[in-house]
Amino acid sequence: MAISTNPDRNPELVAEDISFAYLGASTAALRHASIAVSAGEVVLVTGLSGCGKSTLALALCGLIPSRVQGELRGQVTFGGRPLSGLPPHEASQLVGMVFQNPNLQLINQTVQSEVAFGPENLALPQPEIAARVDWCLDVTGMAAMRMASTITLSGGQKQRTAIAATLAMKPRILVLDEPLSDLDPVGAQEVLGTLRRLAGDEGTGVVIIEHRVDEVAPWADRVVLMDSGRMLLDCPPREAWADPVLWGRIGVGIPDMVRLAHALPDAFPGRLPLSVPEAASQVEETWLVPALAQAAAARVRATAPHPGNGVSPRESAHSPPVLSWQGVSVEFGANRAIDDVTLSIADGDWVAMIGANGSGKSTLTGLTVGLGTPSAGQVFFRGKPIRPGRVFEHAAQVALLLQAADEMLFEETVIGELKFGSKFRALPPNPVLTVDEAIEFFGFQGQEQMSPWELSQGGRQRLALGALLVGAPGVLVLDEPTTGQDAQRMREFLRLLEAVRERTGLTVVTVTHDIRGLASRAARVVLLGAGRVQLDGPASEVFAQTEELERWGVLAPPVARLQRELLGPSLTDVLLSVESLAAVARSYHGLPATQAASAGESVPGSRVGTP
Amino acid sequence: MMSSLFARTVISYLIVFAVPMMLPVAFFKLVGLGGLRELVTYEARDTPLHRLDPRLKVLYPIAMGILSIILNWDYMLIVFGLSVIPWFWLRPSRAKVRVLMVMVIGPALTGFWSQGLYYLPPPPIHFIYQFPWTISWLGSPGITAYGMVFGLQQSARVLVTVSTSMLVLVSTDVGDFTWAFERFRMPPQVGFAMTAALRFLPDMISRTMLVFRAVELRGYDLSRPRWFQVNKWPDYIRRVARCVVLITVPLLIGSLRGTSTMAMVADARGFGANKRRGSLRVHRTTAVDIAGYVVLVVLVVTAIILNHFRIGARPY
Repeated sequence: MAISTNPDRNPELVAEDISFAYLGASTAALRHASIAVSAGEVVLVTGLSGCGKSTLALALCGLIPSRVQGELRGQVTFGGRPLSGLPPHEASQLVGMVFQNPNLQLINQTVQSEVAFGPENLALPQPEIAARVDWCLDVTGMAAMRMASTITLSGGQKQRTAIAATLAMKPRILVLDEPLSDLDPVGAQEVLGTLRRLAGDEGTGVVIIEHRVDEVAPWADRVVLMDSGRMLLDCPPREAWADPVLWGRIGVGIPDMVRLAHALPDAFPGRLPLSVPEAASQVEETWLVPALAQAAAARVRATAPHPGNGVSPRESAHSPPVLSWQGVSVEFGANRAIDDVTLSIADGDWVAMIGANGSGKSTLTGLTVGLGTPSAGQVFFRGKPIRPGRVFEHAAQVALLLQAADEMLFEETVIGELKFGSKFRALPPNPVLTVDEAIEFFGFQGQEQMSPWELSQGGRQRLALGALLVGAPGVLVLDEPTTGQDAQRMREFLRLLEAVRERTGLTVVTVTHDIRGLASRAARVVLLGAGRVQLDGPASEVFAQTEELERWGVLAPPVARLQRELLGPSLTDVLLSVESLAAVARSYHGLPATQAASAGESVPGSRVGTP
Repeated sequence: MMSSLFARTVISYLIVFAVPMMLPVAFFKLVGLGGLRELVTYEARDTPLHRLDPRLKVLYPIAMGILSIILNWDYMLIVFGLSVIPWFWLRPSRAKVRVLMVMVIGPALTGFWSQGLYYLPPPPIHFIYQFPWTISWLGSPGITAYGMVFGLQQSARVLVTVSTSMLVLVSTDVGDFTWAFERFRMPPQVGFAMTAALRFLPDMISRTMLVFRAVELRGYDLSRPRWFQVNKWPDYIRRVARCVVLITVPLLIGSLRGTSTMAMVADARGFGANKRRGSLRVHRTTAVDIAGYVVLVVLVVTAIILNHFRIGARPY
């Protein structure tokens, strides 16, 4: 593929026809990849996990081949000068890299020391070091926290500190490998705001490798799509997403507003919208607004006669709760992480707990297996109190899948993992799945004797989930199960979760930042903020309250925000997917709504089918 | 009744095993694995101690260590008192004080107790409590005041060094350590190794705790028996030992993954690119620093002079 560049700009960083295979690997991670980046330009690189994005980042920063062994062909140059052969400290003054996990990048104990570390290593004079530190902290918005200890920072603050520390080397181009993956929407906006300032005001070229395209799309100058080490597309965003078929075939996500425009071309006659405000301004005078208003009114009419509907599920639930928190508070020193929470979850429910980082979601769900001790109140499982610290006991009732599923694997083989629990306690008479059923259900046939570490990351997550279900838990609690995953893997996980629910009828509680995917599909959403339940209701009602959600650091799905922008604050119930909006459009035009809703197809006259 | 062989045996066993059994309980109740993080966590604050010249802070535990080696017990008391004073100046958090108390006093108490049992004076020996034959076969004929005093002296010497080192760790950013080491002409790798160790040790402890949680969530019983369920403790210890083997693989894999990224970050930030490093810090020597140096020098020199004249010197 030919190198795509912005004609108005002179590219500084150029990778030309590079291929790379890791030492000992049978296949190449990069195949004839070419890219050029200019000063002040923002390039979004996306693709499935394992498609070579991170390898490309390492190559662009000159860490390949100097620090990552393998065979490199082709050349990376900066201003015409080969970058590949430079020592890392010289290359990093031209192209800086921010790795995915900020915890592993913060070597020092305070923010200021971290930022000063690079310039100190370069033996710069003290005034120059001080000037760089001040500038980096200002531009990343961390000046007020310069003396803070790095281990006390939030995810967003850690990532901004890592960016500041990389900027202190004064690179002309900044490459960021999934900088938003662990961040809540607020943290993500903090980081994106910083990058916007850098590109716009300081003229720094920015390459962002990211799955969360919705958030980056509005201000990317170019979008690069990668698959199996190759670059399939490298063009401006609207051009890149003009034909979503390719994206759908590979399984890479595209922004919701783009999908909507493709599904409803009559409503979006102009250029492709990349953000909610853009989409709203395009459709505010079209038939879509009365169509949405009509559908909303119909939903209100349909729900009004039933007194239970629209009321918080905690009030309307008739079945006895499987889990309940009664006036629970949890304190860590002077900090009250959970503040007088009363909540109950009925048998068979699917509940999503959402909230900003530090809002208390994981603390609250951890209590259900005895992790942590309430300073007040009590947690119950089927009416029986959960005793703090008795994790072994309660794990038999509540299966908790940690975000770091890899940390939950201890055996040498897949079959060993599935049998792990039965080694230490008697097999329950009525397991959710037997070992054989789990092998079949999770697709491990023929892999029984494989090491768990030979499985893909998704495979290891499935294995950890399967191992938990080879028991008799009444509830499945999932802590951020889709964090850092690409669109395809998210979809696979959602399908798997649906299948587990269908097969087992388990109550599912998910702690998640994945508002578009996981939270939108849950029957009930609980918003936590400042350790309290701020909103609790059906997903369609909770996500209609966009201002309240934003107040607590959560962004509603783009589709929901669009409806609120178009129909105003009186809207109390929103549609949560592009498919349901397309169905409304079908219905408005007198076509059967179910087709679009079920198959995600577009209405007649659409540009192309949605991916 | 109390002088019967049975009663004396029970009392003797209590004396011998009370302290060793109490310490793990105190550790789990008051500190726990998570509490260990507090031990090496720098508290970023603005106190006079934080502002002291880092070189002075590096020299401080060394100087106090020298004093604790060469002085006898009477003088050691003074040194011990001096080493406690800066803690009041620092005002550490309550959580840190609790951890420090357990981690410092615990081993000291063990030394004091074990010397009382096993460090015997020349005959005739005056026992505080003499053990009957039913326990003396363990190697200790009884507990002596002589041994306990000796144990107290040894423990105090350890306490002085540990307390001063902890004080410095808690009040000094590792970047300052690196700076001080460089000024002492030590290779920057020494400072970096210390930086990395102190920065990532709390993370390592957190990960270990996470994996312990994960193993329990997978159905492994790590529930601790109550202190009086003596018959259950051996099984608990066996389960914990087996668990350590289980968690080693995920811990190692996680750590190795992290170290390669960290090495690349250090390289990219130019670590090792130059023999000398620059410094953001400008340490202008203040009157307090000078006073500190003077105090340290006076203390060490005085101790050496006194030692030369056999005043306050240890008897061997």
